[in-house]
Amino acid sequence: MRKRTVIKTCLVFLASLYFFCPGARAGETLMMATTTSTDNTGLLEYLEPEFEKDTGIDLKWTATGTGKALELGRRCDVDVLLVHAPSAEKDYIKNGYGKNRTQVMYNDFVIIGPGNDPAGIKGKDIRQALERLKSLNSLFVSRGDDSGTNKKELLLWEKSGVEVPERAEWYLQTGQGMLSTINVAEERKGYTMTDRGTYIKYRSDKGDSAGLAVMVEGDAVLMNQYSVIAVNPDNCPGSKYDRAVRFADWMAGERARNLIGDFRLLGKKLFIPNAR
Amino acid sequence: MDFLLSGFLKALDLLITLDSSTWSAVAASLKVSTISMLISLAAGLPLGFALGYFDFRARRFIRTCVDTLLSLPTVFIGLVVYAFITSRGPLGEFGLLFTLTGIAIGQVILALPIVVALTASTVENMDNRLRLTLMSLGAGKRDLVVTCLWEVRYGLLAAAVTAYGRVMTEVGISMMVGGNIKWHTRTITTAIALETGKGMFANGIALGLVLITIAFAVNISVSFLRQR
Amino acid sequence: MNQTGSLYRLDHVVHYYNDTKALNIDEMTIPAGSITGLTGPNGSGKSTLLKLLAFVSAPTSGNIYFKGRREYPFSSRSRSRVTLLTQEPYLLKRSVYDNIAYGLKIRKDTKQLDDRVRNALATVGLPYGEFAFRKWHQLSGGETQRAAMAARLILEPEVLLLDEPTASVDADSAKLIRDASLKAREFFGTTLVIASHDWHWLYEICDNLLYLFKGMVFSSGMENIISGPWEKQGEDLYARKIGGEGKLFVNTPPAEDSHALVRKKDLHINPHASGKERENFDNRLEGVITRMILEKAGMEIITSVMIGDLFFTLRLSGQEVRSLRLYPGAKVVICFQKDAVQWL
Repeated sequence: MRKRTVIKTCLVFLASLYFFCPGARAGETLMMATTTSTDNTGLLEYLEPEFEKDTGIDLKWTATGTGKALELGRRCDVDVLLVHAPSAEKDYIKNGYGKNRTQVMYNDFVIIGPGNDPAGIKGKDIRQALERLKSLNSLFVSRGDDSGTNKKELLLWEKSGVEVPERAEWYLQTGQGMLSTINVAEERKGYTMTDRGTYIKYRSDKGDSAGLAVMVEGDAVLMNQYSVIAVNPDNCPGSKYDRAVRFADWMAGERARNLIGDFRLLGKKLFIPNAR
Repeated sequence: MDFLLSGFLKALDLLITLDSSTWSAVAASLKVSTISMLISLAAGLPLGFALGYFDFRARRFIRTCVDTLLSLPTVFIGLVVYAFITSRGPLGEFGLLFTLTGIAIGQVILALPIVVALTASTVENMDNRLRLTLMSLGAGKRDLVVTCLWEVRYGLLAAAVTAYGRVMTEVGISMMVGGNIKWHTRTITTAIALETGKGMFANGIALGLVLITIAFAVNISVSFLRQR
Repeated sequence: MNQTGSLYRLDHVVHYYNDTKALNIDEMTIPAGSITGLTGPNGSGKSTLLKLLAFVSAPTSGNIYFKGRREYPFSSRSRSRVTLLTQEPYLLKRSVYDNIAYGLKIRKDTKQLDDRVRNALATVGLPYGEFAFRKWHQLSGGETQRAAMAARLILEPEVLLLDEPTASVDADSAKLIRDASLKAREFFGTTLVIASHDWHWLYEICDNLLYLFKGMVFSSGMENIISGPWEKQGEDLYARKIGGEGKLFVNTPPAEDSHALVRKKDLHINPHASGKERENFDNRLEGVITRMILEKAGMEIITSVMIGDLFFTLRLSGQEVRSLRLYPGAKVVICFQKDAVQWL
């Protein structure tokens, strides 16, 4: 008889899960693809309730690498994109996969390194810094994973006229995420390039024992521009284009701009709204 | 190392305070794994029985194929399912991508070979005297299948528990097909992946411990069903 | 549509296990209501024959007629009318009660189930109160076999096939099982076919005794089958040693290791014949009578004689035994010609 009560309890528990836990809500939905780094900042969770309150649209998003996000748009699996890879985005629009590109905000990348700055690059501009790192063979840690951030790093080398030290011994490619890469840099007392959001988290986690600090910042080329792109309805007849446009308009609007500017990650300001 | 301890404390905190995003992930995991298990058992038990009971020429070959399917990586299954249910794919119109139903499809593909292979093994090792006894007592073909399955129920239970463990803990399918959408398709395992990716290791441990607690509860219930 | 009242008729039944020929029976009948014994060495096909008679498997070739019609496994006419009790005691993984009720539940015949289960248990000497709700693993080997027997008796089968029913059980259980089989015949007219090494019991109760050897059936009971190897002694003359210095002579075997069956009617037993009479025979083997059993059906006396390492069996009439003054322990001479053999 004990058996039966156990089975009944399990069934009741399972049934209650179905009823008491949040599931799909009726109403207008909008499916978005964005990048993991964007999602990890928590900005979207902060903005979503406000967006739904103002427009009645239920925004759902999946976070992946930049490449996959763009691919999801190409395959019509999502309705709108929020990404930060301007040159890839421009090609995207040109090839007809996206429409109505709206710049909404930016944050930045920084070069960080050991507190005592053995290579002496603090305060320099990016071009000088990279040239110096190369000439001194200073340890530099790269993500090496073809992510948006990694592509940005490779672009920096290119724009500084320095050849990417692909095979060099002092150039370490981790193939991993940003935090892991920073940890490797800290271990090995090397330099690396990171987005400001992850850096803030890193400092917050480690507190006083953090070994790395900002060395180079502020160059125009270090800017990380975020844009909203609607999936092109000519390419994807079923996509919810008008809702995507409403999202883009909202993100560019005054309310969103205020919200974005007020957003704090662990007490530090992260994004700067720049919709025109 | 310190995140192990803080993870443990965090797990207690999440469970006791009924943190809604945690329980949403728990519900999603349980919902999807239970459905996929039920389907896998309903299809897998008879197929496994047939494979273990009847002798036919292609038997060894089919068994080898089933055993090979046991080695499918979950990311691979996720990728294949995605290819079918993506908007542009053959099943695109059903809107299964980014839903729990889509994940369940992938998990059935994962669990079915396990159920079939282990059921077939159990049935193969069935006592010879069972068939003789049942036929002597007047069993027809249907009686034979049903009673044989009941007689080897402990072996079948082991098959179900093994499959369930695999399904509850997979990440590849849930991530690829479900998209890890908060409140909708975020399961415990994808939540762990997310927290770990963000560097929030303590949270990852916490969710992992929640998962283990649930698995433990399930196995305790199962052990009551075992008589000896 | 019975043919000469036989319950079973086997017609050129040949059965293979993988690639080995397990049974090769040209013709065999079993009358309804009879008690038939199957005996023979291990591996001779007794279990296989019982399985075919139980319609658990179909023969590789040939037909088995049950009550005049060809029958197959799962046939509705043979299902739960023909039951088989396995050699090793076996019960389903459930309570004793459920085991016994299983056959009836399947055929949806559950009126007064409790009473019927009670009676069945009583027949095999298992009190209801003590045993009905024990689980399958809470019984001794003998109790298990008795419960299995009860599960079959409750079906009031037309045929009860028993494969070494008393081999793996204790003495008390063996007796109860033997008695229960006979009760079945008495109450329901059940035909019994029993494979056993317990000759005493078989000779005591059986109407017919069939001897199996390498898949072949010999209807006349225990046969004298002698194995090789045979060595050539002369023209159409071969021999094998029998313990010590004695030799047994036969005509040409088909192969060096063939088996020779000595025809019973050509075997002569004679303790008192003079030397001259004995010399007429090719074989004059000296031995000792080890056992004499009264056979139920024909009132004949089955006599076992030990010669060297061989045992011969003869059927003798009461008169022969008296006139020759035979008794267990008596020294006798077995005589037969070298051509009195049939090669297998």
